[in-house]
Amino acid sequence: MKTFYKSLFAISLFITFLGCNDELTKDPIGLLTMDQVDTTPTLNTLESSVSSSYQLLSSTLNLVGDWQWDDGTVTRNDFILQDIASNDMNKKWNPDGDQAWMDELSAFNFTAENGAFNGIWLYDYEGINRINLAISYLTNSEVTQSVGISDARKNQLLGEVHFLRAFYYFDLVNNFGDVPLLTEPLTSFAEAFEVAVRVPASEIWTQINADLVAAKELLPNSKYPSPSEPWRVSKGAVIALQAKAALYNEDWSSVVSFLDELDALGFYSLNANYFDSFAVDKEFTDNEVIFAYDHISDQNPRKGNGLSALIGWGFIAPTDNFIEEFEPNDPRLLYTVDVPNQNVSKLLGNTVGDNKGNDDAPSNKIYIRYADVLLWKAEALLEMNDYAGAVSEINQVRERARTTPTADGSAIPAGTLPDRPNSTDAAEIKAWLIHERRVELGFESQRFNDLKRWGIAKAFLTGLGKNFQDKNYLYPIPQREVDKSAGTITQNPGY
Amino acid sequence: MKIKITHFLYIIVVLFFGSVLHAQTVTGVVSDMNGPLPGINVIEKGTSNGVATDFDGHYSITVIDPEAILVFSGLGFISTELAVNGRTQINVELSEDLETLDEVVLVGYSSQKKSTLTGAVSVVNMTDLEKTRVVNVSKALQGQVAGVQVTSSTGAPGDPIQVRIRGEGTIGNNDPLYVIDGIPTRDINFLNPADIESMSILKDASAAAIYGSRASGGVVLITTKSGKVGKVSFDVNYYTGISYASNLPTMLNTEQYMNTLEKAWNNSSRTGSNPYTADKGRVDFSDTDWLDELFETGKSQNLQLTASGGSEKIQFLLSLGYNDQDGIVIYDHDKYKRLNYRTNLNIDLTERLKIGTNLQLTYATQDALSSKGDEPGIIRHALLRPPVLGVYKDVNDPTYSVNDPFTDLPFYKHNNKDSGGWESDKYEWSQNPIALAYFTDDVRSSFRTFGNIYAEYSFLKDKELTFRTNVGVDLSFYHNKKFNTNFGDDDGGGSDRDKGQGRQNRPNSLNEDRAESRTITFNNTLNYVKTFDDKHDLSLLVGTEFIENYDSSISASRMRYGVTDPTFRYIDYGGTEVDLWNGGSASEWALFSVFGSGTYVYDGKYMVTANLRADASSRFSENNRWGYFPSISAGWKISDENFLKDVSWLSNLKLRAGWGRLGNQEIDNYAYLTLISQVDGKVVVDRYGNDDLKWETSESSNFGIDLGFLQNQLSMSADYFVKRTTDILLPVGLPSIVGDVSPTIVNAGEVLNKGFEFTLNYRNSNHAFKYGANANFATLINSVEKLQTREVGQSLNSFFGYKMEGIYQNQAEIDAHLSGTLNPSVKPGDIKFADLNNDGIINSDDRTFTGDAIPDFTYGVTVFANYKGFDFSCMFQGVEGVDKYNDAKKIVDYDTRPFNYTTHILGAWDGEGTSNSIPRVTFEDNGSSKQSSIYVEDASYFRLKNIEIGYTVNAIQGLQDLRFYISGQNLLTSTKYTGLDPESTDTTDKGTYPLASSVLFGINVKF
Repeated sequence: MKTFYKSLFAISLFITFLGCNDELTKDPIGLLTMDQVDTTPTLNTLESSVSSSYQLLSSTLNLVGDWQWDDGTVTRNDFILQDIASNDMNKKWNPDGDQAWMDELSAFNFTAENGAFNGIWLYDYEGINRINLAISYLTNSEVTQSVGISDARKNQLLGEVHFLRAFYYFDLVNNFGDVPLLTEPLTSFAEAFEVAVRVPASEIWTQINADLVAAKELLPNSKYPSPSEPWRVSKGAVIALQAKAALYNEDWSSVVSFLDELDALGFYSLNANYFDSFAVDKEFTDNEVIFAYDHISDQNPRKGNGLSALIGWGFIAPTDNFIEEFEPNDPRLLYTVDVPNQNVSKLLGNTVGDNKGNDDAPSNKIYIRYADVLLWKAEALLEMNDYAGAVSEINQVRERARTTPTADGSAIPAGTLPDRPNSTDAAEIKAWLIHERRVELGFESQRFNDLKRWGIAKAFLTGLGKNFQDKNYLYPIPQREVDKSAGTITQNPGY
Repeated sequence: MKIKITHFLYIIVVLFFGSVLHAQTVTGVVSDMNGPLPGINVIEKGTSNGVATDFDGHYSITVIDPEAILVFSGLGFISTELAVNGRTQINVELSEDLETLDEVVLVGYSSQKKSTLTGAVSVVNMTDLEKTRVVNVSKALQGQVAGVQVTSSTGAPGDPIQVRIRGEGTIGNNDPLYVIDGIPTRDINFLNPADIESMSILKDASAAAIYGSRASGGVVLITTKSGKVGKVSFDVNYYTGISYASNLPTMLNTEQYMNTLEKAWNNSSRTGSNPYTADKGRVDFSDTDWLDELFETGKSQNLQLTASGGSEKIQFLLSLGYNDQDGIVIYDHDKYKRLNYRTNLNIDLTERLKIGTNLQLTYATQDALSSKGDEPGIIRHALLRPPVLGVYKDVNDPTYSVNDPFTDLPFYKHNNKDSGGWESDKYEWSQNPIALAYFTDDVRSSFRTFGNIYAEYSFLKDKELTFRTNVGVDLSFYHNKKFNTNFGDDDGGGSDRDKGQGRQNRPNSLNEDRAESRTITFNNTLNYVKTFDDKHDLSLLVGTEFIENYDSSISASRMRYGVTDPTFRYIDYGGTEVDLWNGGSASEWALFSVFGSGTYVYDGKYMVTANLRADASSRFSENNRWGYFPSISAGWKISDENFLKDVSWLSNLKLRAGWGRLGNQEIDNYAYLTLISQVDGKVVVDRYGNDDLKWETSESSNFGIDLGFLQNQLSMSADYFVKRTTDILLPVGLPSIVGDVSPTIVNAGEVLNKGFEFTLNYRNSNHAFKYGANANFATLINSVEKLQTREVGQSLNSFFGYKMEGIYQNQAEIDAHLSGTLNPSVKPGDIKFADLNNDGIINSDDRTFTGDAIPDFTYGVTVFANYKGFDFSCMFQGVEGVDKYNDAKKIVDYDTRPFNYTTHILGAWDGEGTSNSIPRVTFEDNGSSKQSSIYVEDASYFRLKNIEIGYTVNAIQGLQDLRFYISGQNLLTSTKYTGLDPESTDTTDKGTYPLASSVLFGINVKF
């Protein structure tokens, strides 16, 4: 009997042990390990890794988290950091205590915990990490050979992500100054803490320029690299961003030469109608937009513009000061915002209030358009003392504005938005430029960077009663990030 | 094989019929002073021939030797021996044995006598448990056992319950492990309390180490009821009753509300004339008490049918339970129904071979509504919706519709707000909680099969060695179906496709998901129990266990249903143009374990127990897969020593000490791997893995003393424990520079829990009036010693934020306090926060710990008495020294939008010296947007959980027992907490469905 129980016990032990050893080492369901990606990549993995790198430029709601307002992650918050901060934009048409963190930003009495910083930081770095993963696939010849991607396609995709990485870093360096630099995917979680060190802004700029140079070489010489996918990064976008980077570094001659290079492509010009850059029905058929994020309704997963929902809830309103900036009868005001109807037309993509409240709207987010480019050129020429050249560029923008069909169909009285005369007063031309950029590019998330570049942020904002101090030329690093890195990511001075 | 089967059959035949042929049958009734006793063992001395009494105390035993001696024994009675002496009828009255009351307690894969226990094991008093009249077993444990804290997520029927044994040892999963008939599980919602025979709780590591890696939250061992030898008996128990909301806050009425808004407007930097002054006395104003409108009387009923009995060889028990609760929110979309079916069968195939099975089938459906939080939070909206709005629109209102008669946007006229369509600037848009309740259609059903089948074979001459193999099946199917009906006023929004529809759930949609969870447990044990020389009791156990789990789910959703009738609320009938969504995934884990346990007791006085378990988990990388969990404990029963034997008043004195180590592996599957997800067209890193990930370990020491006085009429236990959890499985959020990835799980942290536990039982059954009390009390100190590399020294779930110092009374106070701030924007009447670093600036450096959500002590007291046929019991329960973050207060009392307020706000600051605790009412930020101590409230409470009075009729022909009872739950509460319910689990209360008070009437028949 003893042998019987012994063998019975031994057998049952053996069976369970055999059975379980396999069970303890199964592959995960629905997730790829690093090994699996390296050994069994698919074309889809490569394509998706690139297209998902664009996503953080969208205004789609809740790309990160789920309605975490206080974390600032409900949508990409350029409009807060640029338009609300510069006091072009109010949080809501009716002031209230909702989302007080947006008001704190507007008043410049925020702390480093303000969700706006956390949100943009996370969006930009999430984009960068997706790109780094994509680049690691696209530059791994084993991977590219095994999926059989053509060289042309590979180069195009690679060019796109190099541009995008430059774009995200451009945003980071302007908002925060020195930031951590990541150009490769992590190999372990511990590495996350090793790379959590801010590098000097100059190194970030070097990386931006290097990425743009690489992108320019890789992308084909056409307005839309893939005509069926006009939303993809084009060579024109790369050159334009090179010019913008030069502008932000006050490298005026480079600005001009890049813009000459851009013009040489012959792809871009001002639209006859100011609003065509924003109108949903003109997307990718207009002449002016150089880079935009393509929102599309009814996609699975969602790809629509969620800012329209916020507009429906009463968010996003012009300040009086912004409205006062417009010259009489400037048709751009009504195209930007229809005050009586509380329609932010420029962001809704139409002038009749359609899609207000729609969290899945089709209107694109415009990042670079030719009018902006012309004004960069005006600025560079001005700084290089080519006053006539500068005034001429400004006047191109004014001319289009006064000749544009109006939103309400009314005739523009003669004498509206007259050409600026030739001048030899640099300060006067600069004032014209500052004015023109504000009204032409209102609500396009350019203004706060402009105020900072020009060094007038403090004077302008304190003049409006805001608590802007010198330290505010850089935003604080999100406090949570400083905490999570246990202090290896240091805070900006003054915060 | 064929031969063996015939052999078995022969044995069965012989056992059933064979013995009747010879010898003599003795019958009789076994009783005590209260009446017949079921379940008393009657054994022919020196043989293994024995029977048990039936429900009427009857027994019938066939003895071979006419001079045999019968031994009558039963739990809690002094065993009595009587010689047959040729008699055919022997009636016996047994007397209660208070002194030893030596229950057998399940302590793992084997059982042990209570008197020789050395670890911290609490046996739940099932009588007290039954009287709680709650359908959830975890919930019923509240206040019953020292050191076990039970909270409910909300008071809505079917919402989850949380159980904590000896505090929170980790930031991750602290849930106890439940073991039902030897099969471990994490969820016992399906279990019917009426099916439970006994429950013991292994609180410390020395007791729980046999469950190793899953025991760090404590272990609750449950044995379900099984059939007993005797004639078939039936037990019917039915109760029904009503429930209602109590302790509701008082909200402002329309007049008070308008006065408050008027003042708030005046206190804000607004220009123009005050719109609220103008609005006062408007004829279209209602005066709605939203809480009163929302709550109604709930109903519940519970039916339990049990049949059991059996022959000497086969015993069975069948039970059927039905429970139906309708909660206290209007329109009955807060319901819970559960149907339990259970069968138990035990068969002695031979003298040595026993097989058996338990099978539970449970079908439960919950009609769930948004019972907490703010999405949309029915309770929250009932708190904040202005009283000036009515519940229903006037039938003459052009926007009225029969399908949706409810008000929505304030004073809605048409869909363009900008031309005066509605007044949400004045009366902030909230949702109509009555409409939310009405349109809720969220049904969650689950079907669960839980059971085991076992075989047990005894070896050796006296059956000292038992081999047991047990296979458990835990199979659940879940189905959630939620239809989001479109309703509310058209605010002009929505995509082109949905224009013109109401703003809520625009467009309508159906979400449906189904999931399956399958866990197979296979355990084998070999157990040796032997007493040598009447002095040395030895028990040894070795075993293996293998557990495998597989979960999968699938979901689908559609929108834009043309016909929204309930008969069309299925996936097929939704719109097919756009917004067709689906999803599905799976995950799995496995655990393999080897364990052993040994207990040695010398002369009933000195005892020592040791356990060791080795676990291998699929959740860790191969390098760290195995974890080892040892424990040892010892006891000394001093009262049995010669020098104390003669002390008559001292019936028990035992010292216990133990040490052990437990593990925790409750983290996501695959957490040690770096994983890339490729869903929704995104290729992103999901989580960076940690190859060094290993078991979380908690090490605990326990010291206890058990005391009994006056034949154990009064007994006490006290325990002191220290539990240190190290290598805590901590999800560490990586810096966002690596993107939006799930936190990596690392072993980083140390938490210390220590506390005292006292239990006291008294009963006096010497007279016709019998009474007694059970009381328990536990203290707990919880402290996070280390987190990653930081020293912390605060308890888990501490609140962190600004500390309110008072209210700024005047500008001078502001200027002095905020000396370092340029143009401070605060005004007199705003909240004054402590400037901890004295730099004259209030910023993140001034945040501190403002409270903690772990109670200092918890207690429960049950008092019971009976006299003749009457019985009475009541149970009080409470927690003390616990804080809760009353977030609802933020939006109700201190929000800067024109929501409603509680009457608390009538005492708001209104000029210098008027208040130093409630800030001014205003539409500007008065400091209330900051996380601060103003919202941290003392949530201690003392509650009469239960009171029950019953009457039993004995003398009815054909009935064994007939008892009527009336029972009340949560009838009295004492608390300082201003939210709806201090008891809820969440440390942040955004407006929570409160626990209802209820009154039940019941009848219990046994025959």
